[in-house]
This record gives sequence, C-alpha cells and structure tokens, in this order.
Amino acid sequence: MTQQTKSILVWDVPTRVFHWLLVIAFAIAWLSYEDNRYLDTHIFSGYTFLGLLIFRLIWGVFGTHYARFQQFSYNSTEVISYIKGLFGEDLRHYVGHNPAGAWAIFALIGFGLALTLSGLFVLGGEEQHGPLAGIVSFRQSGIFRETHEVAAYGLLLLVFIHFCGVITESLLHKENLIGAMFRGTKSADTESASVRPHRLIATTMITVILAYVMATFGGYLTETADQPYLPFKGPELVQNELWQEECSDCHFAFHPSLLPARSWQLIFKQQADHFDDDLDLDEETVTELLAYANANSADLEQIEPAWRMNSSIASKDTPLRITDVRYWKKKHEEIDAEVWKRDSVKSKANCAACHLDAEQGTFEDADMRIPGDNSLDSIEWLKSVLGGAAK
Amino acid sequence: MKKYLFVILLSLSLPTQAITLDDLYKRYSPEGESAFDAERGKQLWNQKHTAEDGKIRQCSTCHGNDLSKSGEHVKTKKVIDPMARSVNAERFTKMKKIKKWFKRNCKWTVGRECTNQEKGDLIKYLTQF
Repeated sequence: MTQQTKSILVWDVPTRVFHWLLVIAFAIAWLSYEDNRYLDTHIFSGYTFLGLLIFRLIWGVFGTHYARFQQFSYNSTEVISYIKGLFGEDLRHYVGHNPAGAWAIFALIGFGLALTLSGLFVLGGEEQHGPLAGIVSFRQSGIFRETHEVAAYGLLLLVFIHFCGVITESLLHKENLIGAMFRGTKSADTESASVRPHRLIATTMITVILAYVMATFGGYLTETADQPYLPFKGPELVQNELWQEECSDCHFAFHPSLLPARSWQLIFKQQADHFDDDLDLDEETVTELLAYANANSADLEQIEPAWRMNSSIASKDTPLRITDVRYWKKKHEEIDAEVWKRDSVKSKANCAACHLDAEQGTFEDADMRIPGDNSLDSIEWLKSVLGGAAK
Repeated sequence: MKKYLFVILLSLSLPTQAITLDDLYKRYSPEGESAFDAERGKQLWNQKHTAEDGKIRQCSTCHGNDLSKSGEHVKTKKVIDPMARSVNAERFTKMKKIKKWFKRNCKWTVGRECTNQEKGDLIKYLTQF
C-alpha cells in the first residue's frame, strides 16, 4: 500500500442515480404493499424498479468502465480468495466493485428481476391489470404471488448483506463507500482515470421518472370532492337499469358479481320476506332481474372481488347477505366500529361510501378511501405546498 | 296505419304518464276527493305500530318528522327523497310507484295492506305539503 493514490470519478451520475432511486423504489414498495388502498403506489414503485433494472442492464454493457458487467465479472475462486484476504494480511483494494460486492450486485439484479417480473404476473392474475391481464388467470396467480413474496424477502436479505459488506469494506479500507455512491469518487492508483459523468443521461432518467410520477398521481391534485380521482379503472361490467332502479329503492344496488347465482335465486324466491320487506315484484320484473343476476354472478368470477367472494363461500352455503361472506368480513375486520357510524358511511350496506367505483361493481383496490380520514387533507396539504413552491 | 301507431305510442306512454290527483282519488273511491279526509290521513301517518321484533314502526321511522326534508331508510340508511310536493314535485304523479310503495310500506309499517279509504286519506293529508 505504498502506491501513490489520487481521487478519481468511479461511479458516473446515471449509476448513482440508478442506485439511490432503486433504494427509494424498494422502500416505497415495502411501505405500500400491505394496505390495498396503496396498490397504485406499490405498482408505481414496481414499474419504476423494473425500469431502473432494465436501464442498469443496458448500462452494464454500454456504460462507463466501472459500471460495465465485464469489468466486475469475477469467478468464485477470486471471490473466496478476496473474502479470505479480508480477514488476513492480504487486504486488496479495488477501484470499482470488489469481487464480493460484484457478486452481491449480480444477485441483487437477479432477485430484483425475479421480484418485478413475478409482480407483473401477480398484477395480471389477481388484478387483471398490466401487460399480463387476461393471460394469467386468478387461479394461476397464487404461485406468482408466492414467488413475489419470496423474492421480496430474498432481496431484503441481500440488501442487508450488501449493506453489511459496504460497512465492513468501509471500515477495513478506511474509505467511505456510502459517500462514494453519492459523490462518485474513490481513491485509485495513479494509472486509473476518471470516467465521464454522463449528466445528460442522468437528467433524462430523473425527468422520465418525474413524468411517470405526474402521470400516476397527478390526478389527486386536480380531483374535486364530487369527482375523486380513480387510479384504477376496472373492466366494464354489465349494468342493468331495472336492477339499478329496483335495488336502489331501498339500498345500494349491489352488483350481482358479489354473490353466487344460487344466492340471488334464493333472494328472489324469498322476495315476500326480503329482510323484513315484502318486495311484491311482479313476475316479469323478477324474471329480468334474475336473468341479469345469473348472467353476472360471483360464480362466473369475471373480476377479482367475484373470484374472492365466490372462493370463500362453501358450496353447501347460500349466503343472503354480502356482509356474511367470509372474504367480505376478512377484508373489513380492521375497520373501526366508529368508522361505520360516521355520517358519511352509516351502514355496512353503503359500499359507495368508501369504494369510489362501487356502482360500476369493480371494487378496485386503489379506488378506495375512508371518508373523514385525513387522506383528502394530505392531498390539500400537498396542493398548498406545490402552490407555495410555484409562487 | 297511423292510427295503430298512435295507439301503440299512447299505450307506451301510459305507464309513465303523470296521473292527476282527481284521477287518483277516483281510483280509490267512486265519489272522488270528497270521500277522503286529511285529518284521518294525518292520524294514520302518525299512528304507531308495534312490530314483531317489539320495535315501534310508523311512517316517520323512515320518512322523518319534517316532510319537506329527506328521510332515511331505518336499516340501510339510504336517503329517501322528501314527501312534500313543494320540494319534490315527483310525489304522487306515477301510478306504478304509488301502488308499489303503498303496498310495500303499509305491509312493513302497519303489518297489512292499506285499504283504499286509508290510501285516499293519506294522499289527501300528504298532498297538503
């Protein structure tokens, strides 16, 4: 280590921007996965993550010297000897990625691809959204969801290992590697030269992502109380005027895809005692309503809620209330009793109080807001901040 | 040909055609309006009935105490448009709806269908508003 050293630019700007945006996208994905209401955010982070990975794959071939995969392709012997060296006298310094770090990066990229690609399959299968909608079925989506979860935890573990490696290296070499990923510079021997920064490419990356942010979330800024922004648009389900009219006489007109055909048949059979009311619908009306219900019932599994509801009903059961279905109960168990009593909700039958697309019957995850919660306030806050920044 | 078309069009428009109050009273009694009494209608409207579940049911359970304001379905909490014609001109204009709601709501509230006399009395009382 008597060699003379100097500081050179090792990590070009696009590589650094890629790295930190990837960190942010991964964090957002973890924070937004659990609550269905944030599925739009989760998908946004997933696409961003995939886009960044694709950029990195290209940059790994055409990028600057230290960003190229070829530059840090080490075989297992080199990795083992490097790690052994860490604990011995033979502490070797690499200007770019060291062999252990290089392997971590390939593993991170591999798991990242498995994570985002399996995510696309889950999106296509469970939600019937994205490029794989209609290609992956509801029932096929289970395996992809498991893959997605395993990959997510695997990647988290890898991030942890990568982070420990960075700390260890930084301490052993007395070189701040985290700082290097911000500044881009590292100490090198006098023969190594700085890479080109490629600021224009980095600026383009950031611009594209900001445009994507606006395309995804811009609707929240322009929405009004009467016309809330719906991040997801579900498939066009069959509507029926008579159904709408007759059902909404007394309650929200629940779409027939929320209960199986046998439930609707029983409901109309018992129409003289329909939850304490005698509906007294004439035969013609019943025939039309029943035909509509049969042709759009939950057992046809046209949309995710239909599939979920139907799958949670035992074939021997014929529920008459949507709120009696196991899946419905599970999905609503975390809602406080106080929320149901709010003036804006009042009843469990009032689907549209929270589900902005309840009338269409699609019940998309992100099209959901609990009225009276501070969600709209935070939008107001964001608007005022943006308004202030514009001035 | 034109005549048939006219008859067809007329018959199509019949179910949704607005019914006048006079015609409505005549449906419930050959004597028309004079057979009915707003005061009796008022008593009916405010009469309390005990349902099988022990709860008191009356018209205001869902329609509320102020006829010029919206009511609320006691169970589903769905908003029910005001009964008063001064704010809701639709009231008592469509025979199909009048028949439907008298039947459904009398059964729920009183426990039986209302008689023609009762229906006429109720209409006479409610159309004052």
